[in-house]
Amino acid sequence: MLTLATVMIPASASPVGIFFQQLEIGITLGAMYALVALGYTLVYGIIELINFAHGDIFMWSTVVTLAVIQAMGITASPGPVKLIGLLILLLAIGMLVSATLNYTIERFFYKPLRKAPRLAPLIAAIGASFILETIAQLWRGSSFVAFPSIFPSVGITFGSVRVNLLDVVIVIVAVVLMYGLERFIRLTRMGKAMRATAQDPEAAALMGVNINRTISMTFIIGGALAGAAGVLYNLYIAQVWFFTGFQLGLIAFTAAVLGGIGNIYGAVLGGFVIGLIEALTIQYVPGGFAWADAVVFAILVLILVFKPSGLLGQQIPNKV
Amino acid sequence: MATQTPSKAASSWTAGIRRGTDGIRRWLNETMLAGRPLIWYVTGWRFAVIALVVAILLPLVPTSAYSDIQSLLVAMISVFVYIMLALGLNIVVGYAGLLDLGYVAFFVIGSYTMAAGTYGSINDFAGKLHDLPTLPFILLIPIGAFIAGIFGILLGAPTLRLRGDYLAIVTLGFGEIVPVVFANIPIFFGQTGISATQPAPITTPVGIISFTDPFNHAPFYYLALAVAVLVTLGCYALRSSSIGRAWVAIREDETAAEASGVNLTRTKLLAFALGAFVGGIGGVINTAAFPSITPLGFSFAISITVLIMVVLGGIGSIPGVIIGALVLRLFDVFLLQRINDPVHQSFLVAPVNAPLHVLANVDFNTLKLLIYGIVLVAMILLRPQGLIPDARRRRELKGVGAAPEGVSAVGAFEQEEAGMSAATTADVLDPSEYTGAGSDAQGREG
Repeated sequence: MLTLATVMIPASASPVGIFFQQLEIGITLGAMYALVALGYTLVYGIIELINFAHGDIFMWSTVVTLAVIQAMGITASPGPVKLIGLLILLLAIGMLVSATLNYTIERFFYKPLRKAPRLAPLIAAIGASFILETIAQLWRGSSFVAFPSIFPSVGITFGSVRVNLLDVVIVIVAVVLMYGLERFIRLTRMGKAMRATAQDPEAAALMGVNINRTISMTFIIGGALAGAAGVLYNLYIAQVWFFTGFQLGLIAFTAAVLGGIGNIYGAVLGGFVIGLIEALTIQYVPGGFAWADAVVFAILVLILVFKPSGLLGQQIPNKV
Repeated sequence: MATQTPSKAASSWTAGIRRGTDGIRRWLNETMLAGRPLIWYVTGWRFAVIALVVAILLPLVPTSAYSDIQSLLVAMISVFVYIMLALGLNIVVGYAGLLDLGYVAFFVIGSYTMAAGTYGSINDFAGKLHDLPTLPFILLIPIGAFIAGIFGILLGAPTLRLRGDYLAIVTLGFGEIVPVVFANIPIFFGQTGISATQPAPITTPVGIISFTDPFNHAPFYYLALAVAVLVTLGCYALRSSSIGRAWVAIREDETAAEASGVNLTRTKLLAFALGAFVGGIGGVINTAAFPSITPLGFSFAISITVLIMVVLGGIGSIPGVIIGALVLRLFDVFLLQRINDPVHQSFLVAPVNAPLHVLANVDFNTLKLLIYGIVLVAMILLRPQGLIPDARRRRELKGVGAAPEGVSAVGAFEQEEAGMSAATTADVLDPSEYTGAGSDAQGREG
């Protein structure tokens, strides 16, 4: 797992300290996975499509925010007040870019295929993913580009467990967004329309729900969450690469399936669980870096075989 | 999914493009193809015989050692390998309708069988070298195929109960894991990779045939051609067998097929195993021809490339898939280098402000992937049946569209029985008709 290569663990820590340090890393990673997983689960819940390009939507947020920060000429931490402004600016740009991209792809690639056989939109999504990746590769090249570390490395140390301010910020931003999503889906008209469409699109249409607008909105929200995750990822891992979306997307998809795809609480739970599993794998499995991906996939296969409905999902019988 | 109003003009931009290309297609048919659609020329036995004769004669073109013909032969060996891969994936995707996104895994397994079977030694987990008996190449083809087939069953057995899109992701994971496993276990030298020993020369009455002569690629060319032809014939046989019909039944409606007595798990598993089997053959042949392999050279891009070959040619269509593989692979290994190098070299000396100088920095291999992605999306949106659609599917869809109510199913079936040759004279294809009928017939299944 290349993405974790930069997360350093202090060498001289007690076994208990190491364990808790890994938990801390796992929660931070899990917050980002959960944000991306939400995009998968929202889209799957509403049109039963695995949005294969979702990981690359996330990647485009990392690429564009890198370009922005390079254009602004920022290479080091700009001081507390400016940092907050910068963080909000980056989040806004990342979310806007990803939401727009996700909306555009839905509008032009998936919408004409609403009535096509099931696999057609999935193949279109794979094509979209390929296109997004290669454009990013043509633009930024094939190698990693470092994202400047704009966050000062301050933090608190409990025993041998270090909690960076950045990690706290990441988790807070993620949790605020998740809470916002939950309120949105629960309380607003559009949220109600989304729930209705997920349950039964035809009945929802008969009740006056504008299905196309609801689906577009779902893609916009999912994209925005992935965009926010992209910014947080840039701050945490600080390596921009055209292929990160593919890997992280698969991990986040696994998280969504683990939680029970279609269920937003499940996606959040799955994200944190996968983050923890990955952090612990890297620490405790010999040669952990190399095997982290394999472990995630093994988990995916095991869930799908033994409990396809996931931790929080319901078993849905096959419709004829 | 319900769209409340039939505002098709506003919602489907693809329809406009289809109307536009329809005109071009008709014009082509009338002016250059003597009023017949292209498909009339490239399906059926006439075309197959001509293609085979051309393929057999190609190495006999008099040539010098470094000419383009020799590099075309090398490219063609790779083309034949990809034809095998595309045909193998076509069994899974086209016949049985299961989306396999990790097909590269079976290619890897075939490749490593060939390499390990001829290299002569392997590591153990402690990194100590052990001698291993080497096997003749001709034996390794079935061995590689069987090992890949067994892995196909091992992967398929627990996962084939899953719905189509989940299966796609699980196979994708498998395709990612297999190279990672080879890279991280020391047995086959990990990331360094391994080199196969190429097949030994054969002594025949007409002289010694060497498979390693760098100035004469014809022997390997013929070998790969022969295997590709065998695989093609096998695919035709499979398609018209009872198992082939069972696959089609599953593809069209799983629930109905099960109700009619098709054993879903066994039938799907067989498709998976046979697809993997063919992928294994492809791996063995490829490694015999291009002996150095590294695990990380086998990527998701290969799985996708093969999938694009299938989608481009026509899902389920044997001639389509062959032409899809031929076009894409020739473009990749033969044409692209001939574009890439001259362009880069010409801009190397050109002044920076010359027009189009930006091309000097473009990596055409990356650009290729972009084109592949666009091709994949465009095909699915605009012509989902592929360039050369499967004859059986066309007839099925025609039957559904044209037959009076009540007799369509029987009618379509009888047409099917009437023989394959009738299909080759099928008239102009109308894509809009296809998609219309297709979406009505297949609808949205849960």
